[in-house]
Amino acid sequence: MGVLARALRNVSRRKIRVLLVVIALGFSMAIMISIPAGIVANQVAAESQSEDYREIIASMEEEINKTSTLIECRNSSGQHVSPGMPPGERAFGSRQEVFLDETVGDEIRSIEGVKDVVQFLEKTSEETISETMTGPFGMSFQINRPVYTIRGVSLNSSFIDSYSVLPTNITAGRSLREGDSRVVLMTSNLTDYFGVVEDGKVVIYGESFTVVGIYEPTGEGRTETRMAYMNVSDAQTITDLTGKISRLDVYAENTLDVDGIADVIEAAYPDLSVTTYKDRLENLENMQGNYQTTLETAEASLAHTEATAFQEIVIAIVATSLIVLVTMLYTVRERTKEIGVLKAIGFSNWNVMSQFALEGILMSLMAGIVGLVIGIVAAPALSSLLLPHVNLFSTTGQRPFRQTINPGVFQQQSTTIALDPQTLLLSFGAAVLLGALGSLYPAWKASRTSPMEALRYE
Amino acid sequence: MSELVLETEKLDKVYELGRRKIRALSDVNLQVKKGDFISIMGPSGSGKTTLLNILGCLDKPTLGKVILDGVDITNVPEKKLYKIRRDKVGFIFQTFNLMPYLSAIENVELPMEGTKKSKDERRKKASELLKTVGLSGRETHRPSRLSAGEQQRVAIARALANDPAIVLADEPTGNLDQKTKYEIIRLLGKLNIGQGTTVIMVTHDSLIAAHSGKMLFLSDGKLLAKEKKGTLVTEKALRCPHCGRKLPEDAEYCLRCGKKL
Repeated sequence: MGVLARALRNVSRRKIRVLLVVIALGFSMAIMISIPAGIVANQVAAESQSEDYREIIASMEEEINKTSTLIECRNSSGQHVSPGMPPGERAFGSRQEVFLDETVGDEIRSIEGVKDVVQFLEKTSEETISETMTGPFGMSFQINRPVYTIRGVSLNSSFIDSYSVLPTNITAGRSLREGDSRVVLMTSNLTDYFGVVEDGKVVIYGESFTVVGIYEPTGEGRTETRMAYMNVSDAQTITDLTGKISRLDVYAENTLDVDGIADVIEAAYPDLSVTTYKDRLENLENMQGNYQTTLETAEASLAHTEATAFQEIVIAIVATSLIVLVTMLYTVRERTKEIGVLKAIGFSNWNVMSQFALEGILMSLMAGIVGLVIGIVAAPALSSLLLPHVNLFSTTGQRPFRQTINPGVFQQQSTTIALDPQTLLLSFGAAVLLGALGSLYPAWKASRTSPMEALRYE
Repeated sequence: MSELVLETEKLDKVYELGRRKIRALSDVNLQVKKGDFISIMGPSGSGKTTLLNILGCLDKPTLGKVILDGVDITNVPEKKLYKIRRDKVGFIFQTFNLMPYLSAIENVELPMEGTKKSKDERRKKASELLKTVGLSGRETHRPSRLSAGEQQRVAIARALANDPAIVLADEPTGNLDQKTKYEIIRLLGKLNIGQGTTVIMVTHDSLIAAHSGKMLFLSDGKLLAKEKKGTLVTEKALRCPHCGRKLPEDAEYCLRCGKKL
């Protein structure tokens, strides 16, 4: 009978003790499996969130860069001012929709410090749909609303590239580009209304257009959700507003020039309502700062979690080694006489040591298997029990913002633990190594026992 | 003249307990020939077990020499002593000291582990030895399923596993009842006479010692000059140590002199 067989016999006859070691080692191993897996899961979650945050921060930066030099000009008799206000000299048309001459754009472009002037023509459809509204005291009434709004844009490729003149979240097809004619980019609400898909034909203001792209509106206003983008010249043609525009986006060469240019425009064209984006800019910068703080909090939280995990693993390893050590020491002590007999009948120190070490390793192997099972079954529970949750939000527990570019980012992801074979194998190896290390000293001690002393031991 | 298997020259063993020095053996000179069956007697603390431990390479003398089968074991380093214990010495203990987790045959095979014998050879040898000690058919039984006498028989078989030059028995009948004692001593006698096994037995039981070939006496670590010739027990006969009358195997009292055996 070889050393292995004897070790197996010994392990099997000390069931309670083996069970104790197996449970202790098994749990340690389960901890060793769960914690790194939990950490990895947290890292992945935090990485993905951080990535999203970075994207948001980057897009905000882009937005800030794009809008920092923007001066928006509309006729003050337009939709944004009270209807009673007298129309300006250059305005004409209905009370709701007033238009400017394109020449105003050319004049503003000649102001010093102005880089670009992007012209828009926005007009609601003549077709209307009837909607039922509920008013105060439960009264309901019918109102007629335009089916759609067209927004003509100067499709100059440098404008498209440099400024936010076209929607970005295209869900099908493509956006508009320089040279496009008789094509539209519209919201999914509108394509649903028209019953068309990408590349389908729609009739707008009596003219046929091809839908080249569909997008999801970011705003929730009625105008925004039923918008059709097209070339400004197409818009002017179909609405019989040749040479007219409804809005001018003036871009300054430099952010510092914005206020000066706005003053010049206001002085020269008193009827124009001039808006700069200072407020929005500040708001964006604040939001960016908050995102940055949140990102840092998440990173700090992750670092804290990793530190805790490290401590827990160290404690688990030390505790397990001690349990194995004490148990094996007790076993060696209990079997002192047996060691004496083995040595008396001709066993070498190495024989004795290998038998005891092998017993330790066998117990560890069993514990390893138990640990694997516990680890696989209970990894998510154990890791959530043992690891502090990564705090992706500010210390007050409040989410920093509600109005986000991509609200989905703030959905707290549920931690899913992925147990890769490498982690399992490593933990298994670690448990066996711990068992071996824990039994090494007792085995060595056993081998060094004087046979004479051991035989006298009762 | 038979060859010497074991010889000691001026053996001294001194234990140091703190500042106290205890002389356990003093100037012990012993010569054991091949085929001898010697019992060493003496009261508790006389140094019997110390002498046996030194002869069995479990302990080293403070002074003197031990030559076992031609090898001076006093100078053999500890790392190599296990081979001498394995190949040249067979131990029989008072408390049998069998491995409780091994069967009878596995216990007998144990000392053969590490020798050049193949697995089959080990098994065959162990089986023969168990047959010799009268335990045929009990090979697979664990010690817990064997009587005390049977356990000691397994221990004797184990001691003979590597055909040792000498078998050292430390109170081999100390834990046995009267009847079993005689069974065991008869078995040792049979092995000694039948197979020429050299046996040194330590006992304080004079009745048992009387069944060896020669009795030596130890007192305060010194081997006394007086030697007594014993009556070797054979398989066929058991003799009364007091009057020499042949007795039946299971006798507890002498049929002639009436003394307790």
